[in-house]
Amino acid sequence: MRTGISELAIRLRNREISAVELTKAYIDAIEKLNPTLNAYVHLTFDTALKAAEKADQMLKEDDAPLLCGIPMALKDNICTDGLTTTCCSKILKGFKPYHDATVWEKLKAHGAVLLGKTNMDEFAMGSTSETSCYGAPLNPRNTNYVTGGSSGGSAAAVCANLAVYSLGSDTGGSIRQPASFCGVVGLKPTYGAVSRYGLIAYGSSLDQIGPLTNSVKDAAIVFDAIKGGDKRDQTSVDYDYGSSLAECLDRDVKGMRIGVAEEFFNGINPEIKSKIEEAIKLFEINGAVIENIRLPALKLALPVYYIIACAEASSNLGRYDGIRYGYRTSFYTSIEDMIVKTRSEGFGDEVKRRIMLGTYVLSSGYYDAYYKKACLIREEINREFDAVFEKCDVLVAPTAPNTAFPLNYKGASPVEMYLSDICTVPVNIAGVPAISVPCGEDARGLPIGMQIIGRRFDEATVLQVAHFYEQIAGKVIGAYEGGAGI
Amino acid sequence: MTISKTEIEKLAKLAKLSFSEEELERFTAEFDEIIAFADTINQSIEGGTEQIRNVGARMVSFDDLRTDEVVPSLPNEKILSNVEGYNGFFSVERSKK
Repeated sequence: MRTGISELAIRLRNREISAVELTKAYIDAIEKLNPTLNAYVHLTFDTALKAAEKADQMLKEDDAPLLCGIPMALKDNICTDGLTTTCCSKILKGFKPYHDATVWEKLKAHGAVLLGKTNMDEFAMGSTSETSCYGAPLNPRNTNYVTGGSSGGSAAAVCANLAVYSLGSDTGGSIRQPASFCGVVGLKPTYGAVSRYGLIAYGSSLDQIGPLTNSVKDAAIVFDAIKGGDKRDQTSVDYDYGSSLAECLDRDVKGMRIGVAEEFFNGINPEIKSKIEEAIKLFEINGAVIENIRLPALKLALPVYYIIACAEASSNLGRYDGIRYGYRTSFYTSIEDMIVKTRSEGFGDEVKRRIMLGTYVLSSGYYDAYYKKACLIREEINREFDAVFEKCDVLVAPTAPNTAFPLNYKGASPVEMYLSDICTVPVNIAGVPAISVPCGEDARGLPIGMQIIGRRFDEATVLQVAHFYEQIAGKVIGAYEGGAGI
Repeated sequence: MTISKTEIEKLAKLAKLSFSEEELERFTAEFDEIIAFADTINQSIEGGTEQIRNVGARMVSFDDLRTDEVVPSLPNEKILSNVEGYNGFFSVERSKK
């Protein structure tokens, strides 16, 4: 396994390598591989080197934080003061935020070194990262395939060792699904566990920021650094997790109750199903109690998700008018004409589709039939999850019904693409935490991800089960050769 | 249900978007499929829908609101630094002759 954050932190402290040298190694690797992989869309090498120099100073102190001097990446929808942030949309062309997202403020205080902003589906709307206005990132494991989405660049950067870790955002699976497609670890925390201040909004009741890493331990370390309440995000919660989660990972699964719901396995590719079943067997052999449970309302999760997410998106994206920031059309006859043309030229097709669906379900005459009903079914899905978690400590499920799609795959309609989010969206609807960990490869050598879902604010158990699996399963996917070589 | 081109045009107006004739044809066809997909929430679920109808809105607690304090805000110049052609005013093309 690649060098983890803890080992790098030791090497930095032992002066085996400096933060500047480490950063330069990553810059070289990015210069070499990014022209092909397109994982990064904005590079911040100058500020990275300055941050690395500062980190080297911080590392002279005994109490330097674990993440000090570690090179990393942020998804292009996380605001960075003065550094271009575009959500990979033409409408935010050239936008330089005037504030830092809380997560970036926290990581900066830890001495993090930002290498750049990563590629993503436009406004995080998509499952392949192909709706990016910069073109799709390529899957480092096989460049004929997509990275998944929407945090595709963040997953590719970690997979190809072009960053030690990255942050993504997950509204309906956008951290976990690309993590699964690229064979890395992706954690979607509990809704409210991490501040959304400075995250450019898509579906505000579903969005959550989380880490993509090479190991469960690294995910725990990054989550420890970014979690916590924030006055600037009224939906964030200052939950008392007790001690550092990264220090409490060692726990076996003896006596643990692991739930398996058949609803997560309907229509799943048989190769994926068999890998997840092997993992479940492994838990059982190691003393876990497997509970077969039902979540009947899950069959409504997809339409509920798309109705709620698009309704929120249509409202959130109302702010893009070409007046205060971003792209503005060149020819117009009135202010109204300017706004309409700016939006029509600035947004891509998938974003327009979702704004239109959101406008439809919120419009007079349809609000009760769609939006209100979706909110009520959301409550039912929440109740089902609550009932299941009275009997089970975690649930185990596939992360996605398929492995990575071929690039430019034209065989699926928009709705068929929406159906590929079936395993991940229920988690966002219920606001519970979930992690995706690699659990094997398909016949083409493409990674398969397993999802471990937990109770709200019980990231500790989710991480412990995932860490246990990682330790006992051994090598489940091939190593990626290349990148920074560290 | 099927959705007409006129309805799509009305929605586009609400969403402040415009479509060319060719885009409109394509969007109308896609939208039919998307609405049919959204309509699947009307399937019944095991345990009945009665339960769902009785669910009230999530309770909101008003006990834990932050106090309304004035805190420093970002300077105007910084907030307006992304405005195209800003020189103390928002400049737009002349639209009335």
